[in-house]
Parts: sequence; C-alpha cells; structure tokens
Amino acid sequence: MSTDVMAFIRRKFLEYYSENSEKIPMPTSLPNREFGFVIFRERMMVRHKGFINGAEVKAFLKSMTPMDAYYSSAYYERPEEHMENKGWLGADLIFDIDSDHLQTPCKSEHDYWICESCQNSGRGQQPELCRKCGGSKFKNEAWLCETCLEAAKAETQKLLSFLQEDFGFLPQDIEICFSGHRGYHVHVENEDVRQLDQVARKEIVDYVLGTGLKVEFHGLMEVGKSKIVEGPNLFDPSWNGRIAKGVYDFLKTSTPQQIEEIEGIKSNKSKKAMEHRDLILKSWNKKARWGALKDVSFRTWVKLAEYGLKKQTSFIDTVVTTDIHRLIRAPFTLHGKTGLKAVSISLEHLKQFDPFVEAIAFSKGTLKVNVNESHKFRLGNEVFGPYRQETIELPMAAAMYLLCKKAASPVE
Amino acid sequence: MLVARGDSPKYPFTKDAKEYIDQCNVSVEELATIEYAQIIDRAEQRIEEALINGSVRYESSLPDVEVLSFPVAIILVASIGDDFLKRRYALAEAIRAENLLKDENNDKLMRIIESYFSWRIKKVSIAQNQPYEYCLSFIDYIKNASVFHEDEWKLVNKMVIGGYVFLRKNDVARLAREEIQKYIQETVEKTPKLDLPKLLNQRIERINQILTKRKESFKMDELPKTAIIAAYPPCIKKLYDSLLIGQHISHIGRFSLTSFLLAIGINTEDLLKMYTSISDFSESLTRYQIEHIAGKKGAGTSYKPPNCSTLRTHGLCLKPDELCKGIRHPLTYYRRKIGKIGMTKDE
Repeated sequence: MSTDVMAFIRRKFLEYYSENSEKIPMPTSLPNREFGFVIFRERMMVRHKGFINGAEVKAFLKSMTPMDAYYSSAYYERPEEHMENKGWLGADLIFDIDSDHLQTPCKSEHDYWICESCQNSGRGQQPELCRKCGGSKFKNEAWLCETCLEAAKAETQKLLSFLQEDFGFLPQDIEICFSGHRGYHVHVENEDVRQLDQVARKEIVDYVLGTGLKVEFHGLMEVGKSKIVEGPNLFDPSWNGRIAKGVYDFLKTSTPQQIEEIEGIKSNKSKKAMEHRDLILKSWNKKARWGALKDVSFRTWVKLAEYGLKKQTSFIDTVVTTDIHRLIRAPFTLHGKTGLKAVSISLEHLKQFDPFVEAIAFSKGTLKVNVNESHKFRLGNEVFGPYRQETIELPMAAAMYLLCKKAASPVE
Repeated sequence: MLVARGDSPKYPFTKDAKEYIDQCNVSVEELATIEYAQIIDRAEQRIEEALINGSVRYESSLPDVEVLSFPVAIILVASIGDDFLKRRYALAEAIRAENLLKDENNDKLMRIIESYFSWRIKKVSIAQNQPYEYCLSFIDYIKNASVFHEDEWKLVNKMVIGGYVFLRKNDVARLAREEIQKYIQETVEKTPKLDLPKLLNQRIERINQILTKRKESFKMDELPKTAIIAAYPPCIKKLYDSLLIGQHISHIGRFSLTSFLLAIGINTEDLLKMYTSISDFSESLTRYQIEHIAGKKGAGTSYKPPNCSTLRTHGLCLKPDELCKGIRHPLTYYRRKIGKIGMTKDE
C-alpha cells in the first residue's frame, strides 16, 4: 500500500476515534490488562502497554490512531513488564471462531494468496510451492463473504449452547463480538474461569470440539443377552442429546451414497437404514429407539453417531482458547483490514445481527477511488462490484473497505 | 495427652485435625524424647510405606499416634528435601485418604469435602436408570481431572449440565485424592528445614537409604546421543518433513517440533542450523525462540514437548500408528521405538 493510501486511512481512523472514542466501552480491571496496537507507520505490533484508566486509552487512540487495537484476556500485576515479569493473575476464557478455518464451499471464490518472493497470486488455497518461482512463503488474504460469516455465526450459536446449557454460564458472563473481519469472538468473564490453567482450558476446547469423545460414555451400548442397541434421546442434555441429534440430522438429510462414504459401513447396511428412515425419524421425536431396527448393527450405529456428532461441535480455534496470555481485538475499535468496527452483540440479537450493516464505521460521505480489482460485496443495503480497473465514487464505508483491502486508492 | 476425635485420624490434613495437633503443642525437641517414640515410629513408617508400597495404611488402633505422626512425617520429608520423596509421599497419603473416603457414606463424604475443600458439590437424588450420586462444578472438575489420562475422565465424556459434572462416589473420592495430594505437597514445600535433634536425624538416615534404592529402580533409560529420525512418532515426523520441504508450520507445530528435538538431545546450534538453512527464517528471531523453549531465555524454564492429548487438541496428531496405542507422550514413543528397532545407546 502506498504511503498516501495509508495516510488517508489513518486520517479517517483518527476521525472515527475523535468522534467515537467516548462511546468505546473499556474492559473491566483495565489497569491489570496489557494492551497491544498495530501502528500505521511501522505496521508492527506494539505490545506491553498499560493504562491507568479509560481516559488514557482513549487519548492514546486519538493521538496514535492505531490500525488495530487489542487488549489481553489476561490480568497482570504489572502489564507493562516483559512476559516473565508481568505477574499473571488470571485470564478470561475466550473463543475465536474464524471463518478462515471453516470448510465453506465459497473459499475458492474469495480466498487468494500472494507469493512473497515473486508476487504471483491465485484464488483458493495456497499451493505448497509457488508454480512460478518455487517459493514456499505466501500471504493469504480473503474478501468478506456472507456465506462464511453466516457459517461462523452458526458455529457461534452452537458455542453458546455449550456455554449456557452445558457449562452453565449466565448471559451476563458472556460477551459476543464480531471481529470486524472474518469471524466472531466470545469472551467469558467470571471469577471461576480466571484461574483455569492451560490444561484445564484444553478440556473445555476438547469438549466443544468433541475431541476424544467416545460414544460409549454417552449411553450408546448393547444391552442384555440379546444385545439390543440402546442410545441417547434427542432431548437429552449434554453430549448425549447432541449425539442423538447428530444421527437424526444425518439420517434426515443424507443419501445412501453419503452413508456408505462413512468408513466401515457396508452398502446393505446403509440400504437398511435408508429403508426405515422415515420410521426412525418419526419414532425418535418421542424416544430414540435405536434398537428397533434389528438389521442395523451396533457397529453401524457407532459409525453413524461418530460421523453425525461432527456437525454438533463448534469449530473454535484451539490455540486461542488455551492461550492464557492472548491479546484480543478491543470491541468498537477499527479493523485495519476492512475499516469496519468490531462490535459487541447481545445474546438475543446475534441471530439477526448483520455484520455488513451493523459493523459499518464510516457512514458519512462518499469517496472517489481507483479500483484495481474487487469482488462483489454488500455493505449497508447496497451491493457493489465486481470492479476491475475502474474509477468510481463509492459510499465511504465501501471505499474504506477497498482501501484497507489494498484494492483501491483515493482519487486526488 | 488429648484424645483425637472423629475423623482426624483418618484425615489428618483437615481443619479438625489441625486444631487438635495445635492443641497438643509439641516442640521438635520434645519429639525426640522417649514419650513420643511411638509417634516417631509411625511417622517413619508412613514415609517408608509411601516409598515401598506407594500408599500409606490407615492404622486405627492408636488414633492419637495416627494424627500426630502425620505432621511429624511432613517435617521429616521437608528436612530431607528430595523432590521425588515429596511427590511420592504426598501421593501415598492422598491415596490413603481416597480409599477411606470411598468407604464413607454419602452424607459423610459430602461433609468432609464441604468442610475441607472449596468445591461446589451437590448430592443428586437417585433416579431410575441413572448411576450418579453427586454433581460437581465443572470448573472444580477440570482443575483436578484434566491430568487424568483415561478416556472416561475427559470432560467430553461426562454428562455436563448447567455447569455441573455428574459423578459417582468413587469418582468424587478419586478427584479428592488430587486435591489432597496438591495440598500435602504444598504443605511440605512450605515447611522449613528444621535443625533436628540427633535421634530424628538417625531416622532420616534410614529413610534416605530406602529412598536411594527406590530412586534407582525408577531411573529412566537414557536416550541415545544422536537423534534417530526413524524413531520419531508420526506427528513429529510430519512436522519435521514439513520443515524440510519448507512448508508453513503453525506456531504450535513449530513449538512442538522444537521442544521435541531439544528433548531428544539436539543442541540449540544444530537446531538453529536446521531451521535457517532450509528456509528464510531470521537467525536472531529463530535463535531467540529456540533458546526460549530450551529455557536459556526468559523465565529460565525449559519447555517440555506437548503430550499426545495436547497434540490431538491442536490437530497435530495425524495418522497415529500401532505403537501410538497406549502411549501418552511423543517422547515415550521415541524411547520405545528405539528399543524396538534395536538401536543401542552407542549407535
């Protein structure tokens, strides 16, 4: 990005912080948090910053106008010291759902990579080695995508069911944030979780991702001499219900071919399951009678259950949650890659939340830009693009998005 | 002498027991007198049992001796100051308590746990078809159970509802063992090394002899001096191969690989050469990272490679093979594989 474009973005960011910094909510226990910022000029992370109060943070946002702003999930005695001297006091429990990690079908349309040595670029997943120069280092970029953000939201909703129903966290313990780019963050803040170490947090991660889950511990078993298959019910709590739901959903939507694709299921078995599908589905709404079909073996049920439960998990980033020193994006600050703001969302509102409307930070004015190349995107209630080598006047939010994505530059 | 009451002899680490011990007000000098010989004998026995059997018996015939010998044993263990002994003793006492707790009725177990631990635990009314007697806050659960390796202890394999994990009585006793072990170990760590009377020093001498023998039998086989690539577990091999062909490795992947290679004896310089020769890693940054993991930088703690469970969590456990079954740590795999492929230490 040219220095001019960067200077322009920075001016706009300053405008945002000048007008809105009073409205930016500050984290609890602020003096114990570490702050980190990506600074425009150097484009590097400045960490280990500490502030006494919210006014100081706001003053910093206005004077330094960072590209990105973060604070630590952890609490420290001395947040400004180096890691080993900070004096860790505890950390919130945080989750990151990033659509980059989700297997959405649209990846090939909006993900692109750039070879760091020869600038060769292409759509979709990066190759192992650059076909042009053989280089192995790539930068990955992605356009904003509705499908991906919907998928991330669905994962977030599943996560909330784990947090509330299984772990018993109260709505006031939970904060949901749209990151301003490709995903959602969920913070859980309460006394109990603060002291959890990495190993304990790993257990939470494994629970949410179903890692190490064995269906036999959730009621799927053969009973008695006649070996009747018994299993959990759809409305059972905890993983029991999710396992039943996983099988139910899978049977409801799958084809015999899909069933056979599950490793270890033979075609005659899948046919049997399919023949009786309606019967199974109907009866399960009352009680899951796993044993009603004598032809479907226990082994087949186990395979189906193991397969079906994968869709019941919530696809969180394992490293973020187990990291007890993590910096997370501060809500209502700007995202340097989109010019959108990170916004916190109430639990009730998540379902209706529209990131393409509600995360807009620059709603005033228009800007004429030269667009190099851009995909089709929606911001607010308007759809833009695709553009290729053209000059166009855009609403400020759309223009800022393309500038931040390095796809355009302002016309002087 | 006062008479120890109630459960103090069984659970000498509880508040009741501590009060009783305080009331007895015995000085270290007094301990060495003939009057307290029984207590000293039992204290020494406790440690001996811990070293030899791995658990301490409950001796119900002399309740006072059973209570008072516990703090004395702690003093002796602290004075010896050996880490292996501290761990082993704390564990053995905790196992003793676990076994006693298993035999208590539900009300009693609840009472002991509530009065001693800060756990949030509730009794569950027994309903048909459900085997649970208690539910414990999942936070308290994972604080204690996350170190267990068996599948059945993983949180994901438990019934978790509204913040509580449903448990059977024996599970609660087993979890209590963890908490007790931690507590006893902390107590030993906090106990200062005292100047002990000669008589007690003789006891210590004897314990030390047993300790030396036990430690020898626990000694691990040493690893060969050069790295044997053929013995790398599949997860490490995959990371290693990625590194060699210059593929991107995630931060956690690089950490796992580096800490593993350091643990099997590759030195910082060789590792640095490996990293920098095959990619464009910056030398100073890579050196910093390697030295940090090796414990030469920062807080000085060297990082051990993550265990299998952690590798699984982060999606680094790929294609486990036959030998992986029943193994919990990539280093154990390495050790066993070396044994299997017949490499000796000198090769």
